[in-house]
Amino acid sequence: MGLSHDLLVWPRAYPATQQTSAASSATRRDCFFPTLLAGASQTMSTSTEVSKWRHLPPPPGFASTVSSSKSSGKAVAAATASTASYEELKSKRAWDLAFSPAKSLPMQAFMLYMSGGGVQIFSMGIVFMLLSSPFKNLAAINTAFAPFAPASAPPKSLTTLPLQKIAYLLCNLLTLALGLWKCRSMGLLPTGTGDWLAFETRGQPPEILLV
Amino acid sequence: MRHLSLFLLCLAACTHALHSYEVGVTDWHKPLAGVPLVQSHSTAPVFHRRRYEDGQTSSVVLTATQSNVLAAIHSANGSIAWRHIFDDDDHIIGFKRDTDIVVALSGPGGANFRVFDSNSGHLLLERRLHDLAAGRLQEPESLGTSVGFGAEEKEKDIYVLTNGHTLRRLDRHTGEVRWGWTAPDQTSSVLYSKIFVTLSTVYLLGLSKSFASYTLHVTSLSPDGGVVVYSGNVPSSIKTGFSQAFVLSDVSAPDTVPRVVWFEDGKIKSLELAPELTAKPATVKGAAYKTIEDVGLSEYGQFVAIAENGSGRVIKLTPEGLKVIWEYSDSATSPTRTGSIYSGGLDVDGHPYIARVFWAHSLKTMSAHVFASHLAEGKGLVTGYTFPFKTGEHGIIRHVAVEAANPEHYRVLARLAVTTTTGAVQMWQKDQLQWTREEGLADIRVAELVELPERKIALHLDSEHETFGARVARQLLDAQDFPQYAVNFVRRFVTGSYTSVSTPVVAPTNASEPLSRDAFGFRKVIVAATPYGKIYGIDSANGDVLWSRVFGLGWAAQVGGQIIPAKLFVTRTVNDGESPQVVLVTQRKASNGLVDTVLFHVDALTGEDARRQSPSNDLLQGEDAVSGPLVEAFLLPTDAGRAVVLLDEFLQVHLYPNSDEVKAAFAAVAPSLRIPLRSGPPGQRRLTGHQVPSEVEFTGLHIAYPTWSLPFPTGEDIFAVFARPTDPVASLGKVLGNRTTLYKYLNPNLVGVVTGPPSTAPLSEKATCGVYLLDGAKGTIIYHAILPSVGGRCDVKATLVENWLVYHYYDPEVVVNQAKGYRVVSVELYEGRGVDDKRKSSDMSSLSNATTDVSVYEQAYVFPRGIRTITPTSTSYGISVKDIIVANENGQIQSFPRRFLDPRRPKHKPTTEEAEEWLIQYDPVIPDDPKRVLSHHYQVAKTQKIVTSPALLESTSLVFAHGLDLFFTRIAPSNTFDVLSESFNKPQLVVTIAGLAFAIVVVKPIVARKKLRERWYD
Repeated sequence: MGLSHDLLVWPRAYPATQQTSAASSATRRDCFFPTLLAGASQTMSTSTEVSKWRHLPPPPGFASTVSSSKSSGKAVAAATASTASYEELKSKRAWDLAFSPAKSLPMQAFMLYMSGGGVQIFSMGIVFMLLSSPFKNLAAINTAFAPFAPASAPPKSLTTLPLQKIAYLLCNLLTLALGLWKCRSMGLLPTGTGDWLAFETRGQPPEILLV
Repeated sequence: MRHLSLFLLCLAACTHALHSYEVGVTDWHKPLAGVPLVQSHSTAPVFHRRRYEDGQTSSVVLTATQSNVLAAIHSANGSIAWRHIFDDDDHIIGFKRDTDIVVALSGPGGANFRVFDSNSGHLLLERRLHDLAAGRLQEPESLGTSVGFGAEEKEKDIYVLTNGHTLRRLDRHTGEVRWGWTAPDQTSSVLYSKIFVTLSTVYLLGLSKSFASYTLHVTSLSPDGGVVVYSGNVPSSIKTGFSQAFVLSDVSAPDTVPRVVWFEDGKIKSLELAPELTAKPATVKGAAYKTIEDVGLSEYGQFVAIAENGSGRVIKLTPEGLKVIWEYSDSATSPTRTGSIYSGGLDVDGHPYIARVFWAHSLKTMSAHVFASHLAEGKGLVTGYTFPFKTGEHGIIRHVAVEAANPEHYRVLARLAVTTTTGAVQMWQKDQLQWTREEGLADIRVAELVELPERKIALHLDSEHETFGARVARQLLDAQDFPQYAVNFVRRFVTGSYTSVSTPVVAPTNASEPLSRDAFGFRKVIVAATPYGKIYGIDSANGDVLWSRVFGLGWAAQVGGQIIPAKLFVTRTVNDGESPQVVLVTQRKASNGLVDTVLFHVDALTGEDARRQSPSNDLLQGEDAVSGPLVEAFLLPTDAGRAVVLLDEFLQVHLYPNSDEVKAAFAAVAPSLRIPLRSGPPGQRRLTGHQVPSEVEFTGLHIAYPTWSLPFPTGEDIFAVFARPTDPVASLGKVLGNRTTLYKYLNPNLVGVVTGPPSTAPLSEKATCGVYLLDGAKGTIIYHAILPSVGGRCDVKATLVENWLVYHYYDPEVVVNQAKGYRVVSVELYEGRGVDDKRKSSDMSSLSNATTDVSVYEQAYVFPRGIRTITPTSTSYGISVKDIIVANENGQIQSFPRRFLDPRRPKHKPTTEEAEEWLIQYDPVIPDDPKRVLSHHYQVAKTQKIVTSPALLESTSLVFAHGLDLFFTRIAPSNTFDVLSESFNKPQLVVTIAGLAFAIVVVKPIVARKKLRERWYD
C-alpha cells in the first residue's frame, strides 16, 4: 500500500519512472495521480528509495526467479553499457528535473487565471500551494538530485550537480514569484498604509475640551 | 482591518427594514397629549359625554395642552381617543364643545377656526377667519375670542367672536358665514370677550377700559341678520377682568331670564339680560365676598362665591334673582387645610354637580365634597369622601374636572379628572384611582440612557460580607436549579431557541427583583427630567415609569418657584462596580426672582437620593451648588471619579462632589482644560475661550480666565454649540481602494457652531446663517459655510460625529436648473493634504500649526423633507457604520445610511477601486426610503431630540426620541453581524451532524472489514 503513495508521479516524468517501476516490478499497478494539488514538485523525489526494496524478498505468489533474473539481466546490461553514456543520461535527467518547475509555470498561471481574483477556498489553495512548494522543493533539493549524481560524487552533497541545482532554485523562485504576484493582485500583501492602519495608536490629547 | 470594513460595508449595503413582527416588540411608542392648560376655562380639561347612534354613551376628557394639542382622553382607561396637533406657530386659544362637535380657535386673535367630530376627532371644518397679521395678540391669549352655539334644539349654528370685535355666525356643516358683524369703533377701548346666545338675541359682553377698572359693555344683536339692537355700558367697575364676569342662564328652566353676573368691590352684582337692557343691576344680599368663580355651570345657573372668611357658597339663578343655595361646611380658610378648588360637572341626565376638592393637612389626604342641588327633594345633597392622592409623587392638584353619576337616590358617584403641578392627569372614581397619565413627559428637557447591571451582580451585591455557612446555603439553593438548567441547556442546544435580537426584552415578572440587563444590553433605564419638577426613570424595554421623584424647592418652598432641568450627567456607571448614578443640574427660579443652581443626585435604578438626604417616598431635596445662575455645566472624568464642573456668572468653578480628592484631582488637570463659552451682547456675539489656573483664589474657588475670543459677524447670533460625542473611534483613517489611507481629522477640540440672525432683529431676506467648525482650544476656524436664511429665519440642524459633519437647511433660492428645497450637506475632514498624509490630529497639541492642515470633502444633496432634529447612531466600539437618524416633519423617525451621505461619492461611474470602497455614483437626491422609517406607522409627534446610546452588541444602537411623544427602538446600521441570523437553521445543522456521526459509527467497522479482506484475497 505504501508503495503506491511513494510513487506519486507526474505524467511528464513518466519514462524515467517507468524504468524504475519496471525494474522493481513489485508494483502491480502504476498509479498516476495527476492531481493539481500534488504538483510537479514531487517528481521522482522518491526514486532513490527504490534501492531500499531492491533486496526485499518477493511477496508470496511471486516467483523470485523472474524478478531476480530481470534485475540481474538489467545489471548485466548496465555493466555492459558504457559508463559514459549512463552518466550522460543521468546528467540529462538532472537538467530535466531542474527545469521541471519552470515547465509547469504556464499550467499554473492558467490555473490562477481560472481561479479568479476573489479570496475563496479554491484560489487560496492554489496560492498556498504556489507559495509553499518552492520551499518544500528546495528543502528536498539534495534528495531530489541524488539519483542523478555522477558515480564519482557523493549523491547527497550540496556541491553535486551545482549548475542543475542553481537552475532548479531559480525555477522554484519563478514559481514563488508567481504566487506572490497572485497574492498582490488579490490584495493579500500588506503594501499600503491601509494595511497597517489597524496597528496605529494615538495617545491622550494634551488638552481637555469642555463643551 | 480593511476586509472587516469591506465586510461591514457589504452588510450595510443589504437593505435593512423593520419587519412587521418586530413592531411593538423591539420598539414602543407612547403617544402623549401634553400637560393641560388649566389657566383658562376655554382650554382646561372638561368631561364630555359622547353619544352614539345606538344610544350608548361614553365619556372623554377634552383638553387643550401646553404642547399645543387638542386631545380627547377616554375616561375609562386613560388612552387617547383622538388628538389634533396644532402647528407650533398656531397656538390653540380655546375650544368649546357641543353635543357632537368641538370647535377650536387658534392663532393670533383666533384666526383659525376648526370643527372636530367629538367622537372620532376628525377635522370637519377648517377656516381662516382673518389674516394672521391682522390678529391682535392679547394677554391672556383667550381674551377677545369666544365661541357660542345657537339656542335652537337642533342644527345649531356656531357664533365665533375673534380679535375682540368681530362676530360671525357660521353654518355648522359648511362653515359658510351667514353674517358677520364688526364693532364700528374698533379703535375704542371696548374689547368683547363673551358670547351669549338666546333664541331671540345674541349678546356680546365686552369690557371697556376706564380709569383703574373696567366697565362692562353689552351689545345685543339679532341672530338672523346681525343687526345691532342695543349697545351700551352697564354701570359697573370690574377690577379683575373677565374671570369674574359671566352670564348665568338655566337650560332646565328656559323661562328664567338670564343674568350677567360680575364681582364688584366685595359684592356680587347681576343684571337681567334683555335685548334693550332696561333693567337695573341688582346686588346679592348677605355676606361680603372675596371672589366669585365660574365653575363651568353657568348654563345651568350655578356658580360659586367665596365669602370673606374663605367659605364657599353655591349661588343659583332663580326667577327672583340670585340665591345662595348651599354653603360648604368647614370650607373657611383654616391652617388645617389648603384652599379649595371648585369645579362643576354633569351627570348623564344633565344635572349639575359642584365638587370642592382640598387637601387636609391633618389627614394627609385629599378630600372631595360633591354637591348635587337637585337631590334630596331639591334641598341639595353633599357627598363627602377622601381619596389617597400621593402628593409626594404628583405634587399639588392644580385643576379638577368632575363628572358624576347618580345610580340611586342619595348616592352620588363622582369622577374627578385631576391635573397636578408635575403634569400628571389622574382619574379618580370616588376614592379609586382609575388611571394616571404622566403628561409631563411630553416636555422632557434632558434625558440619558443608563446601562443596567448584570443579573448576577444585581443578585449577589453583598457577597463579600456573607459568612461561610450562608455562602454554602446560598450555593446549595442555587444548585437546586441545576436540573432545570441542564434541561434548558439541552433544549436550547437542540432547538436553537436562543434569545435573538428580535425577541422582546422581557421585564422580570417579579417586580421586587432588582433591575438587570438582558443578554444584549438592549434594556436600559431612561432617566428624564421635566420642567414640571419631576425626574423619571423609564424602562426602555416597554416605556413604563420605573420610578419618579418630585423635586423639593429647598428654601424657595416658602415663596414658590420652578425647577428647570439644564443638564443630566451619568456620574457612575455599572462599569464602576456599583449601581449607576446620575446628577441633574437644574436652575431653580424662585417666585421672588432669585435664580439658584441646584443639583439632584439620584440612583438611576431606584430613584433614591444618592446623598441620602431625603426619604424615598418624600420630595427629593437637591443641593444648592451655586447661589446664582449657571453659565455652563460639564462632566469631567478625573482620577477621583467623574466630577460635575459648574461655572457661575463670575466664572468661578464649583465642583460636585466637593470632596478633597475631587478638588485635588481637578487642580491637577485644571491647566489642561479649555472651555469655550458664549459671550457678548446680542448682535455682537462671540465665542470666548477660557482656561482655569491650578491655583485657587482666596474664595477657595478656581476662576476661569479668557484666553481668546472669536467675534462672529454682526447680525450673527450663536444658536447652538455642539461637540462630537465621546464615543470611541474604531479606525483612525479611511482606507481607499488603492490601499492608501485618508487619515481622519480627529482633533479632540473640534467644536461646531450654528449661527444666524438674532431673533430680535428685524426680518431681512439678506440675513444669512452660518455653520462653523472651530478649534475650541484656540478659536481657529477650520470649516465655515454660509447658508441662506428663510425670510430672515434660520433653521439649520447640524451634527458632528468623528470627522463627519452633516447639516440640513432649507434653500429658498431658485437658480437655473435648481428648485428651492431642503438640502443636506455632508462634510468630511481628513488630515493633511491628501492620502497617506499623517498628522496625528487626535493627540495633537492645540498649539501645533498642523491643526489647520485639513482637507475637506463635501457634497450637497437634496433632502426629501424638513426635519426637526438630527442625530448619528452610537455603538459601543464605533466599528459599525454610523447612520444618521432624523425626526422628519411627518412625525416619523427615519434613518439615512452613510453610504448615501458619503461626501466622496464619485460624479462618474465608480471605478473598480471606488467600487471596492462601496462608493456609489453621486445622485443629487437622497432617496426617501420608506423601509428606513424606524417608527413604523406611529406618528411620533413634535420630536425635540433623539438620544442614541450603544447596546452591548456592537452592531446595535438604541434610539430614544422625545418631544410630544416618546418613542424607543433600536437600529443596526451594519445589520446584526455579531448575532447569528434568525433564519439560521440550527436544528438542520444539529441533525446533519448527528446523521454524519451515526453514519461514521455504522460504516467504520464495515470499511475495516473490507480493507482486511482486500489485503488477503484481492
